[in-house]
Amino acid sequence: MTEKVEIEVRNLNFYYGKEHTLKNINLKIYKNRVTALIGPSGCGKTTFLRCFNRMHDLYVGNRYEGEIIFQGRNILSKDIDLIELRTKIGMVFQKPTPFPMSIFDNIAYGLRLRGIKNKKELTEKVEKALKEAALWDEVKDKLHSSALGLSGGQQQRLCIARAIAVEPEVLLFDEPTSALDPISTAKIEELIVQLKSKITIVIVTHNMQQAARISDYTAFMYLGELIEVGPTEKIFTNPEKKLTEDYITGRFG
Amino acid sequence: MNSLTEKNFLIEKFTKYFLGFWAIFTGFIFPFTIFFILLYESRLAIKHFGIVHFLTSTDWDPVKESFGALPMIAGTLISTFIAILISAPVSIGIAIFVTEIAPRWLKGIVVSAIELLAAIPSIIYGMWGFLILAGVMRNKVEPFLQKIFGPIPIIGKFFAGTPTGVDVLTTSLVLSIMIIPFMASVVKDAFNLVPGVMKESAYGLGATKWEVIKDVVIPYTASGIAGGLILSTGRALGETMAVTFLAGNVPQVPTSLLQPFTTITVALANQFTEADTPLYLSSLFYLSLFLFAISFIILIIAKLMVLRIEKKWKK
Amino acid sequence: MEKITLLKRKIINKVMLFISFLAAVYGLFWLFWILGTLFVNGFKYINLTLFTQDSGPPGLNIGGLRQAFVGHFIITVLATIIGVPIGLFAGIYYAEYGKNSRFFQALRHTTDIMVSIPSIIMGAVMYALLVVPLNHFNALAGSIALAMLMIPVISVTTYEMLNLVPYTLREAAYAIGAYKWQMIKDIVLRSAKVGILTGVILGVARISGETAPLLFTSFNNHYLSFDLLKPMASLTVTIFDYAMSPYKYWHNQAWAASFCLTFFILFLFLIAKLLLHQKIQFFVKKSKKEEK
Repeated sequence: MTEKVEIEVRNLNFYYGKEHTLKNINLKIYKNRVTALIGPSGCGKTTFLRCFNRMHDLYVGNRYEGEIIFQGRNILSKDIDLIELRTKIGMVFQKPTPFPMSIFDNIAYGLRLRGIKNKKELTEKVEKALKEAALWDEVKDKLHSSALGLSGGQQQRLCIARAIAVEPEVLLFDEPTSALDPISTAKIEELIVQLKSKITIVIVTHNMQQAARISDYTAFMYLGELIEVGPTEKIFTNPEKKLTEDYITGRFG
Repeated sequence: MNSLTEKNFLIEKFTKYFLGFWAIFTGFIFPFTIFFILLYESRLAIKHFGIVHFLTSTDWDPVKESFGALPMIAGTLISTFIAILISAPVSIGIAIFVTEIAPRWLKGIVVSAIELLAAIPSIIYGMWGFLILAGVMRNKVEPFLQKIFGPIPIIGKFFAGTPTGVDVLTTSLVLSIMIIPFMASVVKDAFNLVPGVMKESAYGLGATKWEVIKDVVIPYTASGIAGGLILSTGRALGETMAVTFLAGNVPQVPTSLLQPFTTITVALANQFTEADTPLYLSSLFYLSLFLFAISFIILIIAKLMVLRIEKKWKK
Repeated sequence: MEKITLLKRKIINKVMLFISFLAAVYGLFWLFWILGTLFVNGFKYINLTLFTQDSGPPGLNIGGLRQAFVGHFIITVLATIIGVPIGLFAGIYYAEYGKNSRFFQALRHTTDIMVSIPSIIMGAVMYALLVVPLNHFNALAGSIALAMLMIPVISVTTYEMLNLVPYTLREAAYAIGAYKWQMIKDIVLRSAKVGILTGVILGVARISGETAPLLFTSFNNHYLSFDLLKPMASLTVTIFDYAMSPYKYWHNQAWAASFCLTFFILFLFLIAKLLLHQKIQFFVKKSKKEEK
């Protein structure tokens, strides 16, 4: 069974001002699989993740070198339409970020941005997204109340629903459960595993057990370099590099 | 989809330039226009009196068309200085009380009370001062002060003259009351920024509360307090209505606290409508120009001090 | 020897803290005296004629301040309409576009300084710009002078409130494909709505109490007028004229007008405080929920 490549990263280097934060990264992200990025604090995994949807462009002093090939194009090139890119590659953040509007409007926001005005269409897509995010039952009676009234775990699922409503091909997760309690965490992990049949997922996590639980492939990073990548089971039971093994066994944080 | 993208893109560009224009207007065009208008209107007076003469002459005579601004400038500086002198220790005292002494229920009340003082418009301070306080000063307080301080050499000179209630003392007093709310809240905010660990280290060594305040809190917040002080000075300089009611509007440099005097703002408030010759009007604009310049400079100094502290803390 | 020093330190401690207490009492003393007088005198002379009749001739004990209330309202509303949008636009730009530019940071600092510039200067400038060319005092000049005061205040408070919106919210909007203008309109401004409104309320409170900029722009008028190109009465200037006059009747009216004005401003302050309190309460509730 050959795996289809969704994104290919070639010789990616990233500079924050003078700092060389990401060094020569080469990686293949496979379609409809969960790829986890792990490594100690400061290894660059979040920096790497944010290259995929060009989040770094929002701030001054950042520079990319190399290529990230997605749908036949290098998404790091200057002539890429960032708005369109972010439709196809979505992101869920570390802390829940509900917009200051109703639950319905939150989910519908991305759709409205794309010009979908038809009420029936919006309602259908919002319901679909909320069901896929396993939030529908909890909010179906209060769709028009403020999203800020939800609990932390619910808000994060709201953000996931919001991201999948626009039907992206890839979804990036930046430590999505680090601010949540264990029960909410379990719900979201379950959700991610379900989502992968439709969406390609890349997740940054500092929790190794989480990576072991839900990912198909794991990439281990250290000090801005990609040390090792492979099928999750192999990385966790039989890693090739000593550094990987040291990290997995907890020899350093 | 394409027309939507085009529309969005146009709105994006328009928004940036539209907002940017108003930002430049507010931060650049606006202050510079003020400066240039004042400068332009002063040109006649500048030509006639130059800088040195205008600043040092005490001869403000509309009839003779001779305008020396020293009484106004001196009055502004003196009243502001005395007001700061009174309000600074009081403000620090209030801040100490609120942050270190007051029980929780009292804290909120005192803070609210100080905020109430800040909300009262300056004209009300002026009117109250004129109709109520001046009388008390004239009949009770000032004669009392004269009796006590009069006989003392040197200091006694500051209490010479017939008490009228409308003088440097009353004006500075009311001005100081007006400054207290702002200064007290600046000092209070600065005090609240002192990390608990610093104070605890001092307590741990057996220091009394006052010693912690004196040796840890105040030195830690010194620049912040200084910045707040200078900022308050800048604001006090420009106070108009309270001073207009209470100064007496006499163009002389006061030698005693009990003498009537004038300030730049008083002169402007009273004489703009009376200026009947171009030179008179131009001289008033010249005064405004000085007021603007002095205020601006003092406020820049205050800002630089505050910015320096912020940089220090960010490290 | 040590015991004496310790005692001395304790005494100094108690004394200094007591002095601080006295400082608070000193502040409260003035507050109660001023507000007390204002309340007693003001309340005594409030009656219906104050609001229904225009000023009477000096010396005669008739007349009210209707034209002053109406004029003050008109001038303030006009100043708000002019000043708030400009201040908002500038504040939004400073917060959302100008953060990385040293030029715009400098402009923002200049705006901050303009907040504390003497208000009479605005009056002087408008005198040159609008009163002299038109050859008489006019309400428009007064309104614009007040707007000139409002613009920096609104800019600064808008900037500060927008800064409180966490950057993650902005990133989430971009991540879902929003343009910058959409992010600002739908997300950031909405989040900061309450804070910005509070800033506007406080701005209105501030200019309501201003007298100096109106002294030689809108000047005063003893008759009810809606003409923006003619002098217009305002509460503050009228209070000034009446209080400085030798007529007891006018003094009483000045107290009544002062009471109304102060009461109104304190009311605005109260609303602003409640709004902010509500916002904070909401965040407290939110974090309590997450602990469950």
